[in-house]
Amino acid sequence: MADYRELWSNLGMDLEKHDLLCEALPQLFGGVYLIQENRPEGMNYYNFVVSEVHGLRIKELDDHKKAGGKVVGTFCVFVPDELILAAGAIGVGLCGGSQFWIEDGEKVLPRNLCPLVKAIVGAKISGTCPYFQSCDLLTGETTCDGKKKAYEVLGEYAPVYVMDLPQMKRDKDYKKWEEEIYEYKAVLEGLTGNKITEEKLGSAIKLCNTKRAALQRLYNARKALNVPISGKDALLVSQIAFYDNPERFIEMTNKLCDELEDRIKKGIGAASEKSPRIMITGTPMAIPNWKMHHLIEESGAVVVCEETCTGTRYFENEVDETQTTMEGMIKALADRYMNINCACFTPNKGREEDIVRLAKEYGADGVVYCNLQFCHTYNIEYRQVEKALKEAGIPVIFIETDYSNDDTGQLKTRIEAFLEMLK
Amino acid sequence: MGEESFYILFPNVTEGLKLEKLLKENAVKYTIVPTPRELSKSCGISIMYEFRDDSLIKRIAEEHGIRTEGFKSLIRKKADVKFI
Repeated sequence: MADYRELWSNLGMDLEKHDLLCEALPQLFGGVYLIQENRPEGMNYYNFVVSEVHGLRIKELDDHKKAGGKVVGTFCVFVPDELILAAGAIGVGLCGGSQFWIEDGEKVLPRNLCPLVKAIVGAKISGTCPYFQSCDLLTGETTCDGKKKAYEVLGEYAPVYVMDLPQMKRDKDYKKWEEEIYEYKAVLEGLTGNKITEEKLGSAIKLCNTKRAALQRLYNARKALNVPISGKDALLVSQIAFYDNPERFIEMTNKLCDELEDRIKKGIGAASEKSPRIMITGTPMAIPNWKMHHLIEESGAVVVCEETCTGTRYFENEVDETQTTMEGMIKALADRYMNINCACFTPNKGREEDIVRLAKEYGADGVVYCNLQFCHTYNIEYRQVEKALKEAGIPVIFIETDYSNDDTGQLKTRIEAFLEMLK
Repeated sequence: MGEESFYILFPNVTEGLKLEKLLKENAVKYTIVPTPRELSKSCGISIMYEFRDDSLIKRIAEEHGIRTEGFKSLIRKKADVKFI
């Protein structure tokens, strides 16, 4: 087998500790993914990416850096990928989805904090994530208080730049975000030594829109009565979108969609037509967080949509491609990104509307509202979402959890009871 | 007792992808998987296949000079999923 130890060592990783992660992944992936029957053949590409998650892609980042390129890490769907690409850098999504990093995160952060935030910091300080180790700059953003303050801690270990995301959606907030994008452009130009021209930004906007369209196409296939792909497989595709090479990802995802559309025509489903259709909404599910999808689908339902940052919030709405001036393009970027309905905004009526609309579009029988522990904004917002869903006649269940195995038995019982109620 | 699964291991990812292409061309069913820890300590891809295709795949690999680190099998016990 390929030996990446030298590469990891050069990145300053803790090889011994990292080996524990390498040891656990095949077992987990086998238990969650390979047990599924009748998977689309196109999933082989994503199996490949996961198998090489700390190998081949890291080698690609290394080659890029050796050729003088830069790598930029991000933690949130508000940070515009377009600028990173236009600066000739490679962007990687770094959200931590593993329990493995919690212990190290808790060494420098309070315990009663969102697991995603603890995992982000734990991944960096433990030296067990080669993506973190490859980054020349980490780009944070002021979405939740947890991340906002954790970036100060992270800054002790790596160069961090934080974008100030407004938390309301008035005209002046759109303008403020535009200014933030301008400033970020200058930061990236300084880091890479490359000027972001209209031409480069225009191409990057088109590329990111094409990637969004591929993900939308994947999601559209899940609207079929005979869902051609399991929720956990679709989640994996979305998670991989955050760090794969964009051109290759678009090509392979469109190939997968060709197969899915063919399966729809032939009536080949990943689940029985009688399986309850579940939509998930709430906090992001970063790789390898497959917990809720696994528990729901092992209970006989199929997940058909995710209204999350690792779901529709990542790809819905495209950036206007008709702009030709820098001012026009930056404004188009600000308008698209400010249109994301994250719970960090107040008020956030748009999210309630999105959830009801998506539940109808995807023919969901019920909604599972997943909240990562200690995520106050999504937790508080449940009240309004529940009300909106009730008015629309769509059942919903609230589940608060973390990345651990401690509550899986109890969650399974609650999910099974919810599914029983949907029949 | 669990079921016996069959795997092909490779010295590097390029050889694995070469064989994958050939299997696809020959309509042989396969799944790319992370290498089971029991078979190798290195991370990376393996190809899981069905035993009925064993001799066909070995012939294809030989004809095209694909370098492998062996055709191996493993009896996997069905265990509860442990999230990491």
